Amino acid sequence: MDIWFVISNAIVLACIYGTLAIGVSITWSSLGLLNLAYGFIFAFAGYGAWLVSQHVSDWGPVLLAAGILIGALGGVLVCAIAFIPIHDKPNYTIRGLIATLAINLLGTQGLLWWFGPRSKTLPEIFGGWKISLSGMVLTADKVGNVLTSILMLIVVLRWMQSSRRGLEIRAMMMNPHAASIVGIGVRRTSFYVMAITGGLAGLAAVLLSQTYYISPFGGLTPMIKGVSIALCGGLGSVRGAVIAAIVLGLNESITTFAIGGQYVLITQFLFIIAILLVRPRGIAGILDKAREA
Amino acid sequence: MSDANMIARWRNPLFLWGAKREVDELPTIAFRSHQDIWNETRESKAELLPVGRLRYYYKWPGHGTATWNRLRYWPSRRRVLRVRGEYNPKTLRREKTITDKRPIWWLLGLIALALGPLFTPLGIQNTLLTAASTFAIYAAISLCWMLIIGTAGIYSLASYAVVGTAAFCSASLSVKFGVPWWLLPPLGAVVGLVFGGIIALPASRLDGFYYALLTLGLNELCRVYFTTSPVFGAANGGLFGAATFIPEAASQLVRLLTSYYACFALLLATLLFYRQVNGRRVGRILRMAPEKREAFAEATGVNFRRARVQVFVLSSTALGFIGGFYAANFGGVAFSIFNFDTVLLGLGMLVIGGIGKAEGAVVGTLIVVLFDKFFITLGPIRLVLIGLIMLLASLYLRDGLFGIKAQFRNWRDKKKSERRSTRAEKGGEMLPEEATDAHDKNEVYRRRFDKMQREYFKTIVSPELIEEHRRAPQGQHSEVLERLLIYFRGQPQVDKYAITAVEPFKAYRIVGLSGHRGVPPRVVEDKIYTTPEEAYHAVFLRRVQDLLES
Repeated sequence: MDIWFVISNAIVLACIYGTLAIGVSITWSSLGLLNLAYGFIFAFAGYGAWLVSQHVSDWGPVLLAAGILIGALGGVLVCAIAFIPIHDKPNYTIRGLIATLAINLLGTQGLLWWFGPRSKTLPEIFGGWKISLSGMVLTADKVGNVLTSILMLIVVLRWMQSSRRGLEIRAMMMNPHAASIVGIGVRRTSFYVMAITGGLAGLAAVLLSQTYYISPFGGLTPMIKGVSIALCGGLGSVRGAVIAAIVLGLNESITTFAIGGQYVLITQFLFIIAILLVRPRGIAGILDKAREA
Repeated sequence: MSDANMIARWRNPLFLWGAKREVDELPTIAFRSHQDIWNETRESKAELLPVGRLRYYYKWPGHGTATWNRLRYWPSRRRVLRVRGEYNPKTLRREKTITDKRPIWWLLGLIALALGPLFTPLGIQNTLLTAASTFAIYAAISLCWMLIIGTAGIYSLASYAVVGTAAFCSASLSVKFGVPWWLLPPLGAVVGLVFGGIIALPASRLDGFYYALLTLGLNELCRVYFTTSPVFGAANGGLFGAATFIPEAASQLVRLLTSYYACFALLLATLLFYRQVNGRRVGRILRMAPEKREAFAEATGVNFRRARVQVFVLSSTALGFIGGFYAANFGGVAFSIFNFDTVLLGLGMLVIGGIGKAEGAVVGTLIVVLFDKFFITLGPIRLVLIGLIMLLASLYLRDGLFGIKAQFRNWRDKKKSERRSTRAEKGGEMLPEEATDAHDKNEVYRRRFDKMQREYFKTIVSPELIEEHRRAPQGQHSEVLERLLIYFRGQPQVDKYAITAVEPFKAYRIVGLSGHRGVPPRVVEDKIYTTPEEAYHAVFLRRVQDLLES
């Protein structure tokens, strides 16, 4: 196995899982909702993009846009079902967690029932070209994946830093109670947040479909990876999530190279447990203050 | 009101003496006894609704020797039923009320579970008995998990990982080394103890949700490890061929019944375990340290962290035992036990029933297994249905099915108090919270009496009355007007209207007294009255207006 192949793979996966992890992080810190319906949003967006490729167009940018939009729609759906009715009720955090889990079960089984167990493939978005860089072969989908996810992340983070809505979201991340006092509507902002994080999940779904298939339960592994990266980075911190994605990607590539692919999860969790034992609030415990649970 | 009430006439007693500006007779309102007015004012205008609650508890008779003769768990002094004894306030008869009927329901339910297989219809016997033994095992798992989530308050999602690991380890030992079936559960318990001990390490340090996510990941880790590892039979969807206690040679009915009753015995044992952990010292300690009140418990010297880890490790051991039993019962274990959906369904069992209650775990398991295993012909739809139930339970129920009663009562009490507050009236009276702060409690009653007086005087103000006052502001008035004037005169000095002579016999003006010595009265209006009578009447009009507006 070529070390450059492993490293480039790890970078690609880190980018995609990092996208998911930032979504999980933002949702948690602004809404206080641990969105475990991510796997469903992921599969939902994947199937949506597949339908678009079948019926509308299979041009790459169209598929990307379709994935993002349908993911955003899924996020809004989850928000309307699981966040709006209970966000001011007692036991909100645990009930929200269970409600999103229930949506995940319901949605994935619904997809299985509707589309059948056969997995679908999307056409190649970035074409089939290759470039060689001093012994390292970069295929189109790898370069495309990395560039697209980084671009999307930059756009989202810039938007959050510079726009009015982004200011509202950041205010809610800092202190939801104070934000509601100064007139930032919790319900309205929650829709923005869920649409954006859903869009990130949709993007990740379309990008990952270049490597894996689209199946009803295909969102589970990305969700767990994303959640564990967010956890390792510290829930509620974007910078922590980015650092954790890079570190865990490195860990994955080194493990694969040194002892073998099937031990990746084991080393990854030992690594996360070690980090959490030292820093119970993740890497971001050093960087910035995460939301109190 | 003027015409209808003006039937009575008031005769001026001073008229015969021929005083100036006196009239002989005036229309006035009919005399009413002040007692009537008092009674009417005191009378509640609130609609009389049935108050209180229906006494729906059955009252058992009991006195004499039977009073102290109670059913107890031998050899302890603990009572089986919580019975409250009281005297009926009307008949003064001694009565007993069973305040907690759950033991009775438990007994009936367990008897039904024990006798159920004997009464199953022949056509669905296979499905039903298979589903029933699955139910009993899963109920046992749910009970242990309930101990972890409900009693210890650790949001661990790795319970099925513990069960699966114990089952896989014991099954593989049985397959490789021919370990007999009765050794599998203890072996599983050892595996559970080790696994639980390892994952209890971060449990004491991490916050609830961090731990939930971590254990979710651990579950996935176990799934990937066991499915890919060649040791555990990756090829055929699970590890089968372990030793089992179910006789091979017997008929299918006997095998199903053996399996069912063994699982039922496991369920009974787990219920006992739940009671021993939750109802005794450790459970009590943890009930003292619920979420967000840990600091208080710690300050009183309760080591809740140790109790949590104790419960966690104990439950993990029990889960391992159940895992070994699982392998011995089914002769192996499938990889599906590590599936995310299995964890979800397991969590659904807890949530639907209500977290923190043994009956919640068992009934929730019953519902989920009924959908999952009995309606197996429905395909993926049955899982969608379970997801829907779970979603509705988490959206609308605060504490699952067994919390409905408390939630409904809370809601009903809230509605009751809302309606009560819309019925209550306030006009210058002190609110209860003001009244507790008032230094002089006489003020509370004075204000209430004042309110009643004002209510009454509002009813007697009429154009005729005002006309009578305009005609003669001073001198003899009719009885009703006199009452009103006396009330006005008795008002406190602060902001009381008065007349000041700008120029005697020529110009008068209305002022408001300050009520404090040395503080001059304020000017109320600019209007100048030429005679004192006009000024008197203007003051009267102002007071009447203030009265009607109050």
